[in-house]
Amino acid sequence: MTVTVKIPTPLRPVTGGLGELKVDGATVGDVLRQLDAQYAGFADRVFDANGVKRFVNVYVNEDNIRDKKNMETELKAGDTISILPSIAGGRCPRLS
Amino acid sequence: MIKIPSSILREIYDHMEASYPHECCGLMVGTIERSGEGQRVVHAARRCRNLNTDRAHDRYDLDPMCWMKTEREFEGTPWSIIGIYHSHPDHPSRASQTDTDAALGAGMLDYSYVIVSVQKGKVASAQSWILNESEKKFYEESLVVVDEEGDRP
Repeated sequence: MTVTVKIPTPLRPVTGGLGELKVDGATVGDVLRQLDAQYAGFADRVFDANGVKRFVNVYVNEDNIRDKKNMETELKAGDTISILPSIAGGRCPRLS
Repeated sequence: MIKIPSSILREIYDHMEASYPHECCGLMVGTIERSGEGQRVVHAARRCRNLNTDRAHDRYDLDPMCWMKTEREFEGTPWSIIGIYHSHPDHPSRASQTDTDAALGAGMLDYSYVIVSVQKGKVASAQSWILNESEKKFYEESLVVVDEEGDRP
């Protein structure tokens, strides 16, 4: 099934400047792996063997996949996957 | 250099003073000149929720839905997200190691990070920073407050 993937601006250098892509896949993992095959360096920025990286969020429509089945989250035709940077920080001296 | 209209900076400061003693965060939308000095101009700011409620006094986690909504709001316009602002309650407006590590992790290159020190509930200082990935540190950029008539002297 075909879904739409929204690429945030920090990641667009990897996708040749494209902000929206149409990809086929049954799960979020399928889609992300396809994008990695198509765009060199995509996985380095988005996911590794343990799943989505710490400072990246992946939503299917309005749901964070960390609250679903992570990379195994199933997709329906017409779903929108949004890849979003995890913006964090603060005055404390160390991340915890 | 980043130019911020005084009215937008006041909106940002109001957000920070109202959030004190907690950290607050938001997004700045505008343009980046791709030739010359790469001047940045802020045209709008959007408040975002700090999802880190456990440690809101010294941490922030910007609501990712806020990023999504802001990107969509400005799709098809010449404006896009060019920076993030957040407050440091009772702490200097320098980028912390936490800010640096998180920005590196998210690959936030070419974004302005405006950090504002809020001392006892009132804004004390503001600085803007840009991440240098190879050196793994933030460098300060000039923050210029402008009004309708042009640059403030």
